[in-house]
Amino acid sequence: MRRTILLLVALAALLAPAAAIAHPLGNFTVNRYSAIELSGESVYLHYVVDLAEIPTVQFGKQVKRPGYAEDLARGLELRLDGRRAALLLLDKRVTSPAGVAGLRTTRLEAVFEAETTGTRSSDSRLSFRDTNFGSRRGWQEIVVRSERGARISRSSAPEGSRSDGLRAYPEELLQEPLSVTSATVSYRPGSAAGEPPRIGAARGDERSSSRFEALIAHDDLSLGFILVALAVALFWGAAHALTPGHGKAIIAGYMIGTRGRARHALMLGGIVTVTHTIGVFTLGLITLGLSEFVVPEQLYPWLNLVAALLVVGVGMTVLRSRYLAVTRPAEPHLGHHHGHGHHNHGHGDGHGGHEHSHVPEPGSGVRGLLAVGISGGILPCPTALVVLLAAISLQRVAFGLLLIVAFSLGIAAVISGIGLLAVGARRTFRRLSFEGPVVRALPAVSALLILGLGLLMTVRALPAVS
Amino acid sequence: MTRRRIALAGTVAAIAATVLLLGGVLREPADDGEAAAPPPVGATPAQLATVFGASQAGETRATIAGLQDRVRANPKDARSAMLLGLAYQQRVRETADFSYLAKSDAVLRRALKLDSTDADTVGGLGSLALARHDFERALALGRRARTLAPATARHLGVVGDALLELGRYEEAFATFDAMVRRKPDVASYARISYARELLGDKRGAIAAMQLALDAATGQREARAWTHVQLGKILLGSGQLKAAEAHFLAAEQVSPGYLYAIEARAQVALARGRYRAAAALARRAAEAVPLPQFVATLAEIYRASGQTELAREQYAVMGAIERLLAASGVRSDLELTLFNVDHRIRLDEVVPAARTAQRARPSIEGDDVLSWALARTGRCTEALHYSERALRLGTRDATKFFHRGTIERCLGHRVSARTWFRRALATNPHFSPYWAAIARRYAR
Repeated sequence: MRRTILLLVALAALLAPAAAIAHPLGNFTVNRYSAIELSGESVYLHYVVDLAEIPTVQFGKQVKRPGYAEDLARGLELRLDGRRAALLLLDKRVTSPAGVAGLRTTRLEAVFEAETTGTRSSDSRLSFRDTNFGSRRGWQEIVVRSERGARISRSSAPEGSRSDGLRAYPEELLQEPLSVTSATVSYRPGSAAGEPPRIGAARGDERSSSRFEALIAHDDLSLGFILVALAVALFWGAAHALTPGHGKAIIAGYMIGTRGRARHALMLGGIVTVTHTIGVFTLGLITLGLSEFVVPEQLYPWLNLVAALLVVGVGMTVLRSRYLAVTRPAEPHLGHHHGHGHHNHGHGDGHGGHEHSHVPEPGSGVRGLLAVGISGGILPCPTALVVLLAAISLQRVAFGLLLIVAFSLGIAAVISGIGLLAVGARRTFRRLSFEGPVVRALPAVSALLILGLGLLMTVRALPAVS
Repeated sequence: MTRRRIALAGTVAAIAATVLLLGGVLREPADDGEAAAPPPVGATPAQLATVFGASQAGETRATIAGLQDRVRANPKDARSAMLLGLAYQQRVRETADFSYLAKSDAVLRRALKLDSTDADTVGGLGSLALARHDFERALALGRRARTLAPATARHLGVVGDALLELGRYEEAFATFDAMVRRKPDVASYARISYARELLGDKRGAIAAMQLALDAATGQREARAWTHVQLGKILLGSGQLKAAEAHFLAAEQVSPGYLYAIEARAQVALARGRYRAAAALARRAAEAVPLPQFVATLAEIYRASGQTELAREQYAVMGAIERLLAASGVRSDLELTLFNVDHRIRLDEVVPAARTAQRARPSIEGDDVLSWALARTGRCTEALHYSERALRLGTRDATKFFHRGTIERCLGHRVSARTWFRRALATNPHFSPYWAAIARRYAR
């Protein structure tokens, strides 16, 4: 079942939403989120401030200053049974997630504990008001939760966050963004000791891409810096390839389905590098040329669709060769290796031609590999594009191009690796000798999976295009 | 994310194109001799009046909520979608919160899909195109709206504004004349006023804007906007006290009106009260960092010698510029002017100004390009564009000053001195930084 699991994992990765911070009210907003956590006998406040790109430039520095969280506490009015409670800072973290156009955003998270004095009655009242950032526009959300024996009897605020703690803002045309700055709660405190909320892990992807983009804006370009930058770009390319998308599921599925070999995996990597590089360059040039008429992101839906249709094509090709193999089992060695004169049949896995007699060699040969590689690489990731455009605007085009190549190579390394893994997994499989109809059907199943993924991608791509 | 970026493209937007589009549908003003046509009857849909009824009381929020409910309940209701799109634009005018431009765009597109022949929808998209400085598109949309509803004056405003920004002044003025004859109201009087100002007739401009103000009775945002415009004309001729009175009046009509707060910062700056000026400009720029607000704040810091703080504001402008670039706006007139003024990346500024001038061949475009050329020593070519910038006879101290600098650069001392004197005579406070230089050279 390993390959199926591999596929399913990759499938899940493909479906996960891409991590990109998007502010509901534009690049000038200051967004706030307060989670009041009633935990046992204690009251905690988890406060998050998310500055979009422009406020980050305006006062991001201030926010990073030590003591800023304590300043914010002064603007947070938490009253327990009418008496204002002091807020003690337990923990804080400031990060700089990547924003639009190579700019940073700022995310401050702080956990406060409210000072609770004396014995608390079983019917406590809590009121909260956020008076920070008076006139700034932005998303303002309050949630109230209880745990460890504390029980809420009435609350003006919901328990769940509509923005996942300012991580994913709902995009609502017909609804006003949240602007809740106060809440009142009636509750019964628990008797157990409370446990403070923890600040969630920062997102790797956001930080990594922001570092990649920062490379381009570095001021002096010594040889050492260029080399380091290239190495870093290579590494981030690899890291980036591990984030959702990039057709990893398709590649694994293809390698398994067509019984490709190590060489094919490497070739695939090469094709992805070239395609991705060309894709970024082309899109970059098109963007520059069309920027008077088209916004680059209007191109993305179309590229998505092209990639999706390519995947559907690949799936159908693989499925068709499966079908042919089953209906014409008498015909041995259907697909000799892509007609380049490489007639190497046994690949030393000790299994003779039995397998091969009804399963073609990487059926569609070079064409199939090309199609898979292209579908994996054609979609230039926005990060890479931004680097290129930033390089152009900084008049460091050559450097930008070089970085993109390194970045693509990193992606290719990972994709080849996945291909190799798939090949290895298949061999292990075969050694275990799970001969039988189920295993024989698996290639067809993986072909179906590719097809399904392709259709899914198409369905996801279509509404954006229309 | 996509929409976000576009929202920023609207930043700049809110600057020029806040011209009261919806404002056109209001009540009839007192007669003015030159504009005495009867108002068209029945051209205004009853629903549109409800948008207005609400906005008169300053309750756009409630109107929006009501329309949102209606669109949600009946997604096929093109009319409600259109009204919601226009109400979102009204919200932008009231709060300078340009994120609503993206929402307006999406809702209007939806309305257009449901009914592609609705003139108000097409016109609304036209005013959005104006807001995004896509003037060719605005012109096309405005003309289509006018064809769909020939009797409605409102759409003429979109057509005229686009023509104006494209430097086609004769056609623009003719359009405004037709508009005010068809419907003399805030929207048309305000445009007449602007046209007169361009032609150098300040008194006429003030008179027309006064009519606009009278016509805006009962409409909060329109009144506030008109007060600010009146104040700006007065400020442009150095009448600080009278200007300030209008800005204060605007704030009284619409408390927290950011355009009025920023305008008051300019008055304080002209008076040399830097602390008060900075506090006001900061209030505006921190609420909504529109480029014009940030530019004013930077100007104040520079004038008061706080270079470090000024530099911070340059960084903010730089960020805005990058965001605009990411949303497809390659160069923008206001940002380019800012960069020329503050000597930011001067080597890139001339190409940027050329692009901006091509996209917007108005006298503003000509002026910014001439100034960019002058600042980089290309004074002969600069003179050509300065002449173009002054071709309408506009009395703008800044443009006069730019011309003086060019003449001086070309060695025309006498002529230069005349232009500097003219600049100072028009408005002695036109810029604390440049006015000092003008005074030195005028001697």
